[in-house]
Amino acid sequence: MMAYNTNKDIFSLKPSEGLQQRLHIDFPLLLAFLAIFMISLTAIYSASNSNIDAVVNQAIKILISISAMAVVAQFSPLSYGRVGPWLFLLCLVLLILVLVIGETRNGATRWLNIGISFQPSELMKIAMPLMIARYIANGALPPTVFSVGVSITIVLVPSVLIMLEPDLGTSILIAFSGLVVIFLSGLKKRYLAVALGLLLASLPLMWSNMHSFQKNRVLAFLNPGSDPTGSGYHLIQSKIAIGSGGLFGKGWLNSTQGQLDFLPERTTDFIFAILAEEFGFLGISLLIGIYLFIIGRGIMIAINAQDLFSRLLASSISLTFFVYVFVNIAMTTGLLPVVGIPLPLISSGGTSMVTLMIGLGMLMSVQTHKRLVEK
Amino acid sequence: MKFKSDATQETEKKIFLSRILFSVAVVFLLVLLMLLRLVQLQIYDSDKYKLRSMNNTIRTHSLPATRGLIYDRNNQILAENQPVFQLEMIPEQIIDIEQTLKSLIELELINERKLETIKDNISKNYQFKSIVLNNRLTQRQMAVFANNRTGFKGVDIKARLSRHYPKKEVTAHALGYVGTISSMDYSVFDPSLYTGQEQIGKTSVERDYERLLHGKPGNEEVLVNVRGRVMESLGRKPFAPGSDLILTIDIELQEIAYEAMKDKKGAVVAIDPSNGEILILVSTPSYDPNLFSRGMTKLEYKAFEKNEGKPLFNRAIAGQYPPGSVIKPMLGLAGLHLGFIDPTKYEPCDGAFFLPNYSRPFKDWRTHGPVNLKEAIQASCDVYFYKTAIKMGIDNMSAFLSKFNLGTLTEIDIGHEKAGIVPNPAWKKNNFKSKENQSWYKGETVIAGIGQGYMLTTPLQLAFATSMIANKGKSYKPHLVKGIKNSSLNNTEYIKPVMVNRLNDIDQNHWEIIHMAMKAVVNQKGGTAYGMFDTDYPLAGKTGSSQLYSTEKAQGETIPEHLKDHGLFIGFAPPDNPKIALAIIVENGVSGRTAASPVAKKILDVFLKE
Repeated sequence: MMAYNTNKDIFSLKPSEGLQQRLHIDFPLLLAFLAIFMISLTAIYSASNSNIDAVVNQAIKILISISAMAVVAQFSPLSYGRVGPWLFLLCLVLLILVLVIGETRNGATRWLNIGISFQPSELMKIAMPLMIARYIANGALPPTVFSVGVSITIVLVPSVLIMLEPDLGTSILIAFSGLVVIFLSGLKKRYLAVALGLLLASLPLMWSNMHSFQKNRVLAFLNPGSDPTGSGYHLIQSKIAIGSGGLFGKGWLNSTQGQLDFLPERTTDFIFAILAEEFGFLGISLLIGIYLFIIGRGIMIAINAQDLFSRLLASSISLTFFVYVFVNIAMTTGLLPVVGIPLPLISSGGTSMVTLMIGLGMLMSVQTHKRLVEK
Repeated sequence: MKFKSDATQETEKKIFLSRILFSVAVVFLLVLLMLLRLVQLQIYDSDKYKLRSMNNTIRTHSLPATRGLIYDRNNQILAENQPVFQLEMIPEQIIDIEQTLKSLIELELINERKLETIKDNISKNYQFKSIVLNNRLTQRQMAVFANNRTGFKGVDIKARLSRHYPKKEVTAHALGYVGTISSMDYSVFDPSLYTGQEQIGKTSVERDYERLLHGKPGNEEVLVNVRGRVMESLGRKPFAPGSDLILTIDIELQEIAYEAMKDKKGAVVAIDPSNGEILILVSTPSYDPNLFSRGMTKLEYKAFEKNEGKPLFNRAIAGQYPPGSVIKPMLGLAGLHLGFIDPTKYEPCDGAFFLPNYSRPFKDWRTHGPVNLKEAIQASCDVYFYKTAIKMGIDNMSAFLSKFNLGTLTEIDIGHEKAGIVPNPAWKKNNFKSKENQSWYKGETVIAGIGQGYMLTTPLQLAFATSMIANKGKSYKPHLVKGIKNSSLNNTEYIKPVMVNRLNDIDQNHWEIIHMAMKAVVNQKGGTAYGMFDTDYPLAGKTGSSQLYSTEKAQGETIPEHLKDHGLFIGFAPPDNPKIALAIIVENGVSGRTAASPVAKKILDVFLKE
């Protein structure tokens, strides 16, 4: 008799049925995405001073992203496991090429021009969880010292390459997406302690290797008033926007900080501040709620996945997605220094949305490609 | 992928589960942290950020009040507000500031000498704040800019109001002038009533009626964007315009007086004896007050101050001159009133007066032969008044002259008036340091009898005293403002004349004698002004000349221009029903007859025709 794998534990998720299964689309997640995209379009209309072109532009990117997600969801997690290492290698080569022949914009060498211009680091956001999950899942849990060493190398090499571009934000996110897999694999706590110690010990080294603009951001974060028109300006204006929104917000299109241009980069990294100013604490709570729903469902999918690879992949994607949300909100509210990380699925900007949705498509793939097993 | 047994899978799942649960816990903690931060920003500190957001975006622009207008007594405009056009630029809107400034200089829209100041202003101000490049564009410059406007994004023409005096030099000393507000001005006037953009009165009526003229500024709250551009108005409180002033000046007479005086140094003051209204107040050389409202460079102002003619000096109220012979009618009246003069008695005059113990005689300007009081005034006999002075004594003289307001301020309604001097032994004692200079000499009494020596009067004082003679004692304090028109209430408040009568105990007959003598000055043969006016001219007057240079010393020398005698004339007309009392001083004019009385004629020919 054939049946779906049934888990008896409390995290059991009803397997997607019927239409969802056939389309390989998880409807609850899709609904959440659509809600977020509506918020995105609303926010971009306001943040761009009612520029309908910016909204159309974003809508096109949303459509592309959803299509990418739907396509990705059609393939089984296993096929991704097989492709992972090759994709990872390709990414590594491209990242090295970036440093050699990459395009430099605003002092950062992040782009590679092969007919079209793109950032290989974006591709690495997908390749990293695939590669590391694949490697860890191949061995037994908990991983041996050797495999932990290999895993860490796998994580560090691309992270360092990206940090050299420099692109600290992306580097951190990619490193996190790999390290979280190692953590979930049951890495012994003493190793964790050692790793944490090493990280702290390397902080001064990192500081001395940071670019001056990065140092300024950190300094501005520690003391935004020190340079209110320079590095601290973003943060001060962002906090004024968020704080002045209050409980209920100033209402859509009524953000003075945004409409009157006080807040820079408000369609991209600082879009959260506009939402907070216009919709207040209540509106923002709803947004965070939707984000938590996506993350929660992602973790459920991970727990209910059928194999270790799928589990690790799904949880890496979900937790990295959370880190995105957290880092962006923390930076706009002044909890963390300004690192250029957009608010996922809301900030304007095409590539990061596409890669995010490809990742979330894999989440759907994990959920909708459950093999039938014999009882 | 490698095959894994069920047991292995179960172990792995357990490990994974515990780790993912831990991760979820961390996620919850971080979400909690995030929410707490948002609660702090959006609820706990929200008011603080709301205020800062408002400070970011709301600006209060002050709206300067329009300055009250000034009219003459017949509603002729004397001071008005004209829009002037200035060239301004907003630095942040300009791509290449250096190049823009260079091009503007090539088009002669900016004075190259002001370039440094402009650059300094640019570097010291906010980039969104407008910088003035040229504070007064000519019609031609405006046309030039209009033709080239497209090349100058961020540069624009702005209008503001500036004071304009259509009569220029004619009214300068009566009206005064305005200029930009200085910190000194703020110590006198309430800074909260100014926006800093308006002009403030600096002298004369403009200064002393500043509180009425300037009005009350309004303000406008506007929403600005990050570059300071005004996006919308949130509400405005309109300004209250300043009150208009109606002066006592008759601009027609004022112009005639100025025309007659413009090539001379001196002053003309004419008063209506029936109410103290000043009909003419001229001081020459004068200046164009429009230069001040236009804004002068330091160099231009220094040139004014260095000018030998002292055009900024208001001789009419602050010029102190020995009155000379014009004091004679007043001293004659004193003699009559105090019983020192018998009007019927003739006194001999052989051209000189001798005082015991004085080696030198006190000379007369000519030999008159025997004269009585009327003839002594008519022909201006010095010897007669030398004798009278000795009879009366200096204390009697000074006490009586003080009743004519000589030696004290007239309290005219504009500032910087001088009091003049009516000397007596007490005054000398108080005003000289060394003992020998403090004692009063008899010879000083003698020359006081003809208005020489220490005696000093202002043209305004002389005109005021003349109005007392004209009215036989009763008079009104001289003033320049007749009415205050409040344009928002649409009513005019008229100033009530303040009566002065310190001479009410004088016998009518004594007044008649003086009037008769002064009429004779103009209309009878032997009168010092006889022949200068038409026959039977309805005028009573007195000429005078005040010596600046001892004639003894000048024997055989030509007297330098600046040491020539001042020529004076006082008079009132018509003598029976006086409508005007005037005093004229022409510095270095040599004689009152030739220098000052023609000025009186020019004024009165027009005045008496009306």
